[in-house]
Amino acid sequence: MDCKKAERFLLRSLDGKLDPEKKTLLQTHLEKCPSCQRKDRDYRMILSLVRPQTVPEPLPYFKERLLAKLEEKGKTAPALLWVKWAHRAVAFSLAAFLLFGAGILFFRPQEPRELSQTEKFLLQDENPLGEAGSILDQQEAEDRNMMLIFASVGDRDVSRRYRP
Amino acid sequence: MDEKELIRRSQAGDGEAFGVLVERYKGKVFSLAYGFTRDRAAADDLAQEVFIKAYLSLPRFQAKSEFGTWLYRVAVNHIKDFLRKNRERLKEIPLQEAGDRVLASSDLGPEEQRLQEGRREIVQAALARLPEKYRVILTLRDMDGFSYEDISRILKLSPGTVDSRLHRARRKLREKLTGHLGRQGGEHGL
Repeated sequence: MDCKKAERFLLRSLDGKLDPEKKTLLQTHLEKCPSCQRKDRDYRMILSLVRPQTVPEPLPYFKERLLAKLEEKGKTAPALLWVKWAHRAVAFSLAAFLLFGAGILFFRPQEPRELSQTEKFLLQDENPLGEAGSILDQQEAEDRNMMLIFASVGDRDVSRRYRP
Repeated sequence: MDEKELIRRSQAGDGEAFGVLVERYKGKVFSLAYGFTRDRAAADDLAQEVFIKAYLSLPRFQAKSEFGTWLYRVAVNHIKDFLRKNRERLKEIPLQEAGDRVLASSDLGPEEQRLQEGRREIVQAALARLPEKYRVILTLRDMDGFSYEDISRILKLSPGTVDSRLHRARRKLREKLTGHLGRQGGEHGL
């Protein structure tokens, strides 16, 4: 056993919390280690000096003095209670005000916004290249030209466009 | 009267019932305060304040722990506050001076008794210099004799933490005392 472990056992033995087997091991170590013998002596001496020889009694009329103070406190208790609740009310109002402000900031109604062309296409599930593709797919040059003319006049109503 | 009944009545504002509880616990609370202050009048004041605090907090006591454990917890917290607030005023005197003061006093009687008192003063001065958490645990265990289990409940620490903190506190106290008790300790000094 090394000295570090011996000191641990030694400290535990001060409280009588060392089992017999470890006690024997500690004893064997102490017999051949003067440094740990000194520690053992020191700890026991300090412990005996820390423990008070006698503890005096409280001053006379301890209970009577205390109950008189409590009675005195009882008379001022309503005022104290009011102050306590006033403090709580202020804190509560402040917290409510902050929460309300945060609520307004985070949950204010959003104004409707004009959608961009891309968003419109996406929402309507349309392919902006679809129309151009169908014009180029035409075999007849005449049909192709007519479709190009109709598309260029900007008629947005697809149903009224030229279809071959 | 049953303690639960006394607590229930005290919670309802019955001063007489609380008086019975005070009689039951005043010795231990006073002794706890005395362990930290080593002054009878200061310990008496502290013990009174602890009971007033306990009485005012009693409506919030829900009997999740023993009344005694709860009361000692109130006491330890109050004493810790007191020590923090009075740190400057209670500034400790040098260790050797503590012993010399006793050795110089002539009204202590026989030599051995004076030496022992000198050593005791030095140990108390060293104890007062320890960090608060070590001072508290040493006072509870080595001065007031609370069990590990009680300390664990009062300080709300696991038993393992109580064990390691107590051992560390004893090591620190010994370190502080090394070389200081020699003069007073004679051949048994540190």
